[in-house]
Amino acid sequence: MTAPAIPPRPPLAELQRKAEWMALLTLAVGLHALEAALPGLGPWFKPGLANVMTLLALYLMGPRAAFALVVARVALGAALIGTLFTPTFVMSLAGALAAGAVMLAAARLIPGIGPAGVSLLGALAHMLAQFVTVEALFIQQPAIYYLLPPLLLLAAVTGWINGALADYLLDALRARRHAPA
Amino acid sequence: MATTPDSAPSLKRKLAGRPADRLLLALALAGIGLCWHLVHARLAGGEPEVAIYHGQTLLARYPLHARRPIHFEAMGDLGPADIEIDPQGVRFTDSPCHGKNCIRAGHRHRIGDVIACVPNRILVAINGAHRAFDAVAE
Repeated sequence: MTAPAIPPRPPLAELQRKAEWMALLTLAVGLHALEAALPGLGPWFKPGLANVMTLLALYLMGPRAAFALVVARVALGAALIGTLFTPTFVMSLAGALAAGAVMLAAARLIPGIGPAGVSLLGALAHMLAQFVTVEALFIQQPAIYYLLPPLLLLAAVTGWINGALADYLLDALRARRHAPA
Repeated sequence: MATTPDSAPSLKRKLAGRPADRLLLALALAGIGLCWHLVHARLAGGEPEVAIYHGQTLLARYPLHARRPIHFEAMGDLGPADIEIDPQGVRFTDSPCHGKNCIRAGHRHRIGDVIACVPNRILVAINGAHRAFDAVAE
């Protein structure tokens, strides 16, 4: 009797990359749940700290890894906090997909843009997509847009800060990678 | 490459962004300012009134400054929500939704203020005497 063939072991670099992606996903889901537990912010506005992990994935691993992280984070985060398939989940998914698409496009197409600019555009896209989704599917009244300008301003501020934080973490992570053991 | 104090990442420096980022921020802030101006310019003045909607349906309209508290039961997708209009403004006092963000929003009293209960699909908006956004199926 011959022993079953053992599949070849994946290269170490690939395993390391998957481990890093999982670590970012775990952090993103944790931050998503933490933000949902913060009082007084409402369904519209969240600081978007989980988006810092998306930015790290985008700059460290590329657009496919970043987009996969966005989808996985929203689904797992909603399952964790008990909002899966509720209106909150639909708003969150629409916002996250729009933000992900805009951030990937911005990073690729706008020359000289950094994480702060990418994050700023992502935060604005997130907020706009939430409003369009709510107006189209749930509230169906243009009066809902009365809320938009102040929330866009908050999104711009938090998007900028999150982008700067991601830029800082990227430098720190790259410095650690290149540091002698 | 180990970081030296000079090359160490600084959050303060990162907050300044790159030139392209700063240009985008300026454009975004200008756009938001314009959007804010347009929304408020189109909100008519005059006597404020409270409009209560479920989806596309206008359920009720009341003058905002009621001398005595008025309670309106708005039937949403999840069940009835209680909306109170009193001298302080308008607020949700009860809602069947899970998060209760609509109740936590408290009183609203200025033209252009909105309270939305998305899960129950109820919207309370304070409009001027002549609403700018008039695409309401009544």
